[in-house]
Amino acid sequence: MELLPEFVVRHAETPQEAARLLAGDAGARILAGGTGLVANMRLGLDAPSVLVSLDRVKGFRDVTELGGVLRLGAGVTLSRLATDADVGRWAPALAAAAATVAAPAHRSAATLGGNLCLDTRCVFYNQNETWRHSIGYCLKYRGDLCHVAPRGKRCHAAYSGDLAPVLLVLGAEVEIAGPGGVRRAPLGALYRDDGAQHLALARGEFLAAVLVPAARHGTRVAYRKARVRGAIDFPLAGVAVALEIEDGRVRDLRVALTGTNPCPLLLAGTGEFRGQAPDRALLDKVAKLVQRQASPQRTTVTSSNYRRQVAAAIARRVVSELAVPG
Amino acid sequence: MSDPIPLSSVTSRVAGRRQPLLDGIEKVTGRARFTADLPAANALTGAILTSPMAHAEIVRIDTSRARALPGVRAVITGEDCDVPFGILPIARNEYPLARDKVRYWGEAVAAVAADDAKTARAALELIEVEYRALPVYTTAAEARAEGAVLLHRDKPGNIEREVGNSFGDVEAGFAAADLVREQSCHYSEVAHAQMEPDCTLADFDPESGRLTLQSVTQVPYYVHLTVAECLKMDPASIRVVKPFVGGGFGHRTETLPFEIIAALLARAAAGTVKLQLTRAQTFTIHRARPETDIRLKIGMKRSGEITAVDAEVVQRGGAIAGYGIITILYAGALMHALYRLPAARYRGFRVYTNTPPCGPMRGHGGVDMRHAFDGLLDAMAGELGLDAFAVRRANLITPPYRTINDLQINSCGLPECLDWVEQASGWRARKGKLPRGRGLGLGCSHFISGAAKPVHWTGEPHATVNLRLDFDGSITLLTGAADIGQGSSTLLAQIAAEALGLELSRFRVVSADSAITPKDNGSYSSRVSLMVGNAALAAAEELRRHLVAGAARKLEARPEEVECLADGYRVIGTERVVAYHDAVHAALETTGPITTRGTYTVPRELQGGKYRGAGVGPSPAYSYAAQVVEVAVDEDTGEIKVEKIWVAHDCGFAINPLAVEGQVQGAVWFAMGQALSEETEFRNGMPMRANLLDYRVPTIAESPPIEVKIVEARDPSGPYGAKEASEGAVGGFGPALASAVAEAIGIRMQGLPLSPDRVLEAIHARRRNERLKAALKDTR
Repeated sequence: MELLPEFVVRHAETPQEAARLLAGDAGARILAGGTGLVANMRLGLDAPSVLVSLDRVKGFRDVTELGGVLRLGAGVTLSRLATDADVGRWAPALAAAAATVAAPAHRSAATLGGNLCLDTRCVFYNQNETWRHSIGYCLKYRGDLCHVAPRGKRCHAAYSGDLAPVLLVLGAEVEIAGPGGVRRAPLGALYRDDGAQHLALARGEFLAAVLVPAARHGTRVAYRKARVRGAIDFPLAGVAVALEIEDGRVRDLRVALTGTNPCPLLLAGTGEFRGQAPDRALLDKVAKLVQRQASPQRTTVTSSNYRRQVAAAIARRVVSELAVPG
Repeated sequence: MSDPIPLSSVTSRVAGRRQPLLDGIEKVTGRARFTADLPAANALTGAILTSPMAHAEIVRIDTSRARALPGVRAVITGEDCDVPFGILPIARNEYPLARDKVRYWGEAVAAVAADDAKTARAALELIEVEYRALPVYTTAAEARAEGAVLLHRDKPGNIEREVGNSFGDVEAGFAAADLVREQSCHYSEVAHAQMEPDCTLADFDPESGRLTLQSVTQVPYYVHLTVAECLKMDPASIRVVKPFVGGGFGHRTETLPFEIIAALLARAAAGTVKLQLTRAQTFTIHRARPETDIRLKIGMKRSGEITAVDAEVVQRGGAIAGYGIITILYAGALMHALYRLPAARYRGFRVYTNTPPCGPMRGHGGVDMRHAFDGLLDAMAGELGLDAFAVRRANLITPPYRTINDLQINSCGLPECLDWVEQASGWRARKGKLPRGRGLGLGCSHFISGAAKPVHWTGEPHATVNLRLDFDGSITLLTGAADIGQGSSTLLAQIAAEALGLELSRFRVVSADSAITPKDNGSYSSRVSLMVGNAALAAAEELRRHLVAGAARKLEARPEEVECLADGYRVIGTERVVAYHDAVHAALETTGPITTRGTYTVPRELQGGKYRGAGVGPSPAYSYAAQVVEVAVDEDTGEIKVEKIWVAHDCGFAINPLAVEGQVQGAVWFAMGQALSEETEFRNGMPMRANLLDYRVPTIAESPPIEVKIVEARDPSGPYGAKEASEGAVGGFGPALASAVAEAIGIRMQGLPLSPDRVLEAIHARRRNERLKAALKDTR
């Protein structure tokens, strides 16, 4: 077992204090469930001098409904998301997606905020120090070469959180706390298309809460993913779909991906499907759209081609299942 | 040949009882101490510097800066041990720390013992090693290519062993066949992935010059011998203790480098060293099932009868000899003894490559061949319009039977196994009638109950057990056999209790402490039930003579007139009874406490033939298994769901049916991992999956219901007729799965694992083919 590096845990009482602690030390990190952070620390991928706990911050672990919006504190655990009655009523697809993350022990500690801010993953990155040292490190960490695409200057590490795609198709917003106060932004604005730096957070900023609007009546949402094992594994590709059918025609169709790109991706171009019948031709178009915008690289031990194919196949299946309520 | 020993007539029989394992409570309550849990308050921390290159000459090692670091107590390199080791006396080419060159990524190059882990790690960073890179070969083909640099100077072509043998008239067999088919299959390398990572606690006492090792081993005796040789110590100065062990599956069937390194460090530091490996390092120790290519040709009569077999096997063995010769021989030898083969030719190549050393793994050598063989059998049966059961029944062995490669079979319950799985799975009503995407498949397999010739063949008994009786009336069974979770300690106690006619509660088992227990070869090749079981039986019979003699004296009767009750002795046919404790006192009063000894040696006629390599394959008895696997395949994602498994296993006689069922389920489940999702992977010699996320052992989510039927074809060689129970069912899962998948998607996949990406690729290839055919038809 690899030793953990030494660190200090600071318990912030308010978001402002947390922001100050984070801003004050470039090596400070937020500690919530620790299921992602501690694993990375054990691999030597991160050695934060200060861990800032938000446990004492008011609302950090609360689920509250106000003004047609469900506010989920970033510290709500995945097991709570999976079982909470309010979440189940408001966004059953979110609860269902949370129930498929990792394994029960992980979910009891892991949080919504941690899942949304999950570090990107790559077979050349998620290895131990000895291993990474042997290849001279990589673009994402301590090196200057991407072993996935050695000619490029981009990091292709893939984002593989399960909740982001569901929240993207639901049109969720996030509250980002920072030294200057709290700002509100669409969830998509939290991310950048860069595996080495996939979160658009300034120094001192952190994700404080997620705001989920009520879905329009008649909108159906579902998430499904491909992975080799039915537990523990990160998704090789995951697809969330929100579909509203009116008079037998598509009124609204939104599709989001995870596991295939450096950040979760709300597909562009689904607006064109408005007014179309949910038939085989539509499914073909959705599958094509996924194939075009998904960009899996050789970042997993499973081939990128499989991930692309299966993303399209899942999208097709989920849309078709949502179109025909069963 | 004699019949199996009759079981006691006492109604409360101990052998055959569903007995929870004697150490079960300690394990489930967490009281059991594994090597890493042992009290080691004063132990130094050991750490290993491993090679960052997969193939390189070591130009220079400078440890001076590490030695100078405060808190560092010892630094060792290849200079500190010049004795090569290896499980086979004829193939010793491993050093605990690399000398001159490194041959795989992660090979140990230097090691330190320091006051704490932080200092140990800092010391490793201060060791300077200069390498000169050599070409890296991660496939057998690359290593065998013309002009490839040799991993070992004395092994031309990087071939560790080439096997070539032929039995019967192979050409005539093919000429007489109605159908001849050939296929090639590829198998990924797999790993044991046992739950407990590797660890050794070594204690050297500089005053007495004695060394005590506690380690995670399956083979304490071989560790004892090897450490003595490598440290040039008198074995009498070394004590090896096996604490609780968290699984082995073959990973721990030979002395491993870290065990010797821990001993070297303890001696160098003149103290206690705890050397605990990471999961990644544990993966790199490896010793598991090699990447394998099999080309197989079978000739068959219209009746399904096999007329001839021709097979070629290439195994990517890794960097070191280890068990390699045995594995490549088993792949050929275990083609036999399941079905009648009138003629068979086998060529095998064990190849050195720049990957971690392979070794034995549950189902040793036979598993990949079984997949290829049973798969081809099914495919050919299909062409001939024969059912999967029919083609197997056309080739059944009827004991006593000697195979053409000189394996002696004296019991075979395969026919009953087949009958049960056929009936239980509803095969006749369901096969071929399932909805699209569903399938049923059948696989058969077998295994040895201990290798008739142990790896260290020196002529001594294969197994020895002592039973110690003292005035308190307790009986302590002393065995060197390593209980590694398979339940061997419980089984041995049950055998002894049965033979003595006593309750199990009178017994304690002390297992594997070289200061106390008799030498035993260890837990591998499924040898313990039969071999150590027979030794326990012999020791118990001897003790029974003492007790009965004591009882007879008390009862003033002749010993042959006395029968055992569970808590006393009685003159047969009378009410004259003596209590157990009084009989014990009478038995010991002139001699003091006694220890009896039982041994087992495999009879000559069961030790196999005379040809080169004939020592691998022979066993006193063979277990048999059949299984039916039902699957559902998702054609969009390539995911296979195993819905249900029905498995019947012939273990001769189930001394502990509860443990047998667990072992059979474990065997099937273990095989499921290799068949569905497990594989290692190397890029330029770097392990890509040396962690439990990317090395995909199935989770409980993938675990189907497994219905077990115990079949008991009692073998004259086994204790009460018992044969092995934990490896026989491994081989049949792969082919059963492949056949089930073939029914579900119409494609017979040539190799393992059937991971979703491979299955989806095969489905897409089939669709392209279908489209092409349709297009060609249209143009006609």
